[in-house]
Amino acid sequence: MSSNPLPRRSFLKGIGTAMALPMLDAMIPGRALGAAKAAAKPPVRAAFIFVPNGVHLDEWTPGSTGVNFDLPRILEPLAPVKNDLLVLSGLTHDKGRANDDGPGDHARSAGVFLTGAQPLKSEGSEIRAGVSIDQLMARQVGGDTRFASLELAAEGGRSSGKCDSGYSCAYSNNISWRDSSTPLPAEVDPRLVFERLFGNQVSKEMSESQTRRLNHRKSILDFVLDDAKRLSGRVGHDDKQKLDEYLTAVRDIEQRIERAENGTDAKKVSSRLRPAGTPSDYGEHIRLLGDMIALAFQTDTTRIATFMMARAGSNKNYPDVGVREGHHELSHHQSNPEKLDKISRINRFHVDQLSYLLQKLKSIREGGSSLLENSMIVYGSAISDGNKHNNENLPILVAGQGGGSILTGRHLRVPNETPMNNLFLSMIERMGGQAERFGDSTGKLRGLRG
Amino acid sequence: MRRLALAALTLLALVPCAPLRAADEAADASRLFQQDIKPLLNEFCSACHNPDKKKGHLNLEDYTKEPPRIEDREMWEQTRDMLQSREMPPEGKPQPTEETRQKLIDYIDSRLASFRCDDKVLPGRVTLRRLNRAEYNNTIRDLTGVDFQPAADFPADEVGYGFDNIGDVLSLSPILMEKYLAAAEEIASRAIDVNYPPSPKRRRIEAERMKRFGDDSIRPEGNLLGMYREGGGKAEFVIEKKDDYRISVRAAGDQAGPEPPKLGLQIDGKGVKTFVVENHRDKPRAFSVVIPLEPGNHELSIAYLNNYVVQNHPDPRMRGDRNLFADYVDVIGPLNLAPPPPSASHALIIPHQPKRGEERKAAHEILRRFASRAYRRPATDAEVAALVRFADLVRSEGGNFNEGIQLAVQAALTSPHFLFRWELDPTPAGKDEIRNLSGHQIASRLSYFLWSSMPDEELTRLAGEGRLTDKNVVAAQVSRMLKAPKAAAFVENFAGQWLQIRNLAEMTPDPQSFPEFDDELRAAMKRETELFFEAVMREDRSVLELLDSNFTFLNERLARHYGIDGIKGEKFQRVSLKPEHNRGGVLTHASVLTITSHPTRTSPVVRGKWIMEQILGAPPPIPPPGVPLLEEQKAVDATASLRTRLEQHRANPDCAVCHNKLDPLGFALENYDGIGAWRDLDGRFPIDSAGVLPTGEKFSGTVDLKNILKHREDFTRSLAKKMLTYALGRGLEYYDKCAVDDACKLLKSQDYKFTALVAGIVTSDPFLRQMRQRETE
Repeated sequence: MSSNPLPRRSFLKGIGTAMALPMLDAMIPGRALGAAKAAAKPPVRAAFIFVPNGVHLDEWTPGSTGVNFDLPRILEPLAPVKNDLLVLSGLTHDKGRANDDGPGDHARSAGVFLTGAQPLKSEGSEIRAGVSIDQLMARQVGGDTRFASLELAAEGGRSSGKCDSGYSCAYSNNISWRDSSTPLPAEVDPRLVFERLFGNQVSKEMSESQTRRLNHRKSILDFVLDDAKRLSGRVGHDDKQKLDEYLTAVRDIEQRIERAENGTDAKKVSSRLRPAGTPSDYGEHIRLLGDMIALAFQTDTTRIATFMMARAGSNKNYPDVGVREGHHELSHHQSNPEKLDKISRINRFHVDQLSYLLQKLKSIREGGSSLLENSMIVYGSAISDGNKHNNENLPILVAGQGGGSILTGRHLRVPNETPMNNLFLSMIERMGGQAERFGDSTGKLRGLRG
Repeated sequence: MRRLALAALTLLALVPCAPLRAADEAADASRLFQQDIKPLLNEFCSACHNPDKKKGHLNLEDYTKEPPRIEDREMWEQTRDMLQSREMPPEGKPQPTEETRQKLIDYIDSRLASFRCDDKVLPGRVTLRRLNRAEYNNTIRDLTGVDFQPAADFPADEVGYGFDNIGDVLSLSPILMEKYLAAAEEIASRAIDVNYPPSPKRRRIEAERMKRFGDDSIRPEGNLLGMYREGGGKAEFVIEKKDDYRISVRAAGDQAGPEPPKLGLQIDGKGVKTFVVENHRDKPRAFSVVIPLEPGNHELSIAYLNNYVVQNHPDPRMRGDRNLFADYVDVIGPLNLAPPPPSASHALIIPHQPKRGEERKAAHEILRRFASRAYRRPATDAEVAALVRFADLVRSEGGNFNEGIQLAVQAALTSPHFLFRWELDPTPAGKDEIRNLSGHQIASRLSYFLWSSMPDEELTRLAGEGRLTDKNVVAAQVSRMLKAPKAAAFVENFAGQWLQIRNLAEMTPDPQSFPEFDDELRAAMKRETELFFEAVMREDRSVLELLDSNFTFLNERLARHYGIDGIKGEKFQRVSLKPEHNRGGVLTHASVLTITSHPTRTSPVVRGKWIMEQILGAPPPIPPPGVPLLEEQKAVDATASLRTRLEQHRANPDCAVCHNKLDPLGFALENYDGIGAWRDLDGRFPIDSAGVLPTGEKFSGTVDLKNILKHREDFTRSLAKKMLTYALGRGLEYYDKCAVDDACKLLKSQDYKFTALVAGIVTSDPFLRQMRQRETE
């Protein structure tokens, strides 16, 4: 049984009175596009990329700090964008530690990655972590774009069995949390991502049949909201929470449509860019999803994205880089040099894909700057060393200058035990949002401007 | 206090529900506790489980102020189990004598048994479940007759307690809502043919292409046939069925003289009708006539009958040139014969097209029936009226009847009544804490449990007649339902998740270590286990055969993998197993052996853990905090065999607590490699698959192990618990012990027959009853 009722969103009051034109797949971008142009300063974007199982830290951490830092073996593929990197050492996710909850570090590492909240140990009776930073950003500034946020993953969730030591798979499979009890599933198929973002574009002059179809959808949403409202008076606490999820989802769609209504014509995206499906090659899969992030940022379809390169505790193997054993199995390396070498190869493989995305963002010009300059791409793991399963001194880097507010081309070592959430607090401000504190933050992260 | 590990739930007591006289018992227990038990706990347990160390999150002081309380049963069950399995106290710490150990166990047993199943037992409460992907697909298939896996693109359902149908875990994200809306539109458009009934067939004959006769001046004039003097055109057409047909000629004329041009229509040389074409050349229109026609070839002709050319008439109004123009001739029909039957899905939703003027009444009937099926209970008048408004809306916009129904169907498929499985309390003000579920709610529980889909007509009928509240009627449905083809969903969803063979899809055996592995073998592995489970289910065999049987299902590929000769072809066939085949039961299936291996090698630890969790229902306990990291242990000899290395690992008493349990189970399966093929050597080391369980039983390999496992009550009990979890869609609570006890008892009394287990579950209180909800907080 769950105990504490969660404060529900206040929007519920307005439900039913303010249904806007439902145009789910009618992709009209927000007024923000125009607004951004008028203001001449491109908006700041944020993406958060998760890799599982920690890294081989010796070959990740640059030997020196400051501007003249070196790129160790794992970071080497980032050489073309070295000056756009801020490598951060010393950040900690204390709430990823057991803190009396016993094993389950992998599940916790995903649950804590963007929330900084201790995930509730539960196989399913109640799922709880905290709102994630991307969703807090989406709530505060996501209203300016057609999609408040985008959630992607290159590895689907486990479909049966257990994920990690008494934690529901909901923790291992997700890093975005809409609120403390609702993880947001990620889209895995690049084709579906494209279709969601750019499919069925409708121009301002809609045909009569399209208008009629949209009006029908509006009537349906009114109808289901009536149903839901009538039900809400008849259900107990736990059921109410499920019904609220339903209402929230409908409301979310409604908001998107409101934004679309206020917007201008969709930026046409050539259908040649539409991916055919999920490629069997894993690297290709990651790069395609990276393309979707770049495309979504470029068209200002959203400004916020999360991306799990693999799910927490993933035991995938990487034959392309000569690693036949499973990643998780290897991460318990017992300091065996052969295993460490293989872990480095996997880490480098992931960083290689990151480099592809960063270079792509850098190649896209907007006004006098590049898209990368206007972005903050956080990359890393909430486990430091896979063998120790420790959560301090996490391997984290930020790429992009956040619209000129981050001094890159540096390796910055922050004091030990500095909460990762301090970084997030500094980021949300750069997105135009604000928060006094976030999760276990103790203040903004110092030194981002240099 | 933070909850103890949920693992404890699965340790639900192994004790009988013996009735006891509560008052006496309590007094005795209290005296015994203070005098005898507490000092023992202090002596052997409190060195670690004290307020400072709290090993395993356990501070015994929280529990020993008074005799064990029923509210703390999870903790006491775990304690008892730890003592019995000799996990506690750990090696290296002072050990109680055998007698003392047994004394503690007996005492805890007696306290746990004071929870009595003959008292009022809580049935629990299941959190509102939304349909998961499998349930959505199957429900749409049965509800609308269209079967195209609409949920394939939906986000994966979250898993709790090992299954993806747990109400608390299944969430509804905006992206899923979007997909529900789109799917409803797609389903409605596939299910209903808006153009039904089709208009009669139209055969069009272009006039300018007709074979001309009569005056030479008759000639094509653009896309018209220009008839400037007497004569016309003819053409052949074919009629399939005897009926009335409409012949429709589109024509126009140059008007001159005293009368308009006349067009003579003949069929097979007989005059049918003469049309007077009064409209001007610029305004062609259709002239039609209905006539009966026989099947076969026919010839049709149109002719200009009254040419007129006078340029010098004294009356200027009479001067002019009359001409006739024809555009085309349509032969339309048959007009009276019934149209071909609609698609099955269309007929399922709209059994009869309404007559003109009866559309609204028909819409009510159709939508009442549809909504009652979609919502899995009789729809209310208000609900039907709300759906009929969609039909009205479409009609008011000029749409046809079918389009109206289509939109209403789309709305119903988006409603929370369809997407969630509601178990609303019709009398929320009822006084009792516990209520019986309604017939329709039980029908849904049965059908989603065994079919992952909506109730069929028979279940709905029984529910409507109020008969599903009778346990005997419910039990009688089990055999019927398990034999139905739809029970394949139970194999796929229950067995697929219980045995975790769904995970085969994501296993990546290393190609160098296992070159013979490919997708064909992967699929064959899964199929074997599914067919095997299905046979046990449909033939109502003993569930013990799941662990140990003398048959399986193989195709050529898998048989080759197993080294079994004589099986040919891709098709799976039933195969009788001999001892030398070294197969039989799921533990020896390549599917299970593969999902419990690492990409390059077997993992006795993972296999042992799998047996503990999935077969014995006793997940290995939580490693105590402060276990030294592996790298800090004394170097393990990397050149030794896997077994030797793991034994070195177990030399550490802290590791041994778990690994003494896990590893022997896994080692018993070491003769099967990482993809389940038989082997006698692991690299250069001979396989040693003998071992001793912590309970003292010795075994010399897989056959012994299977024998030990299947005679343990833990197996049937664990299976019953997993099945009850899946049936209810919630994690089990302590009071569910009684339902599990009863199901096990029934199973044992009926020779472990599969249907007995299912019947035990569907007639249990948690399945048929519900705790009344507390007020919304």
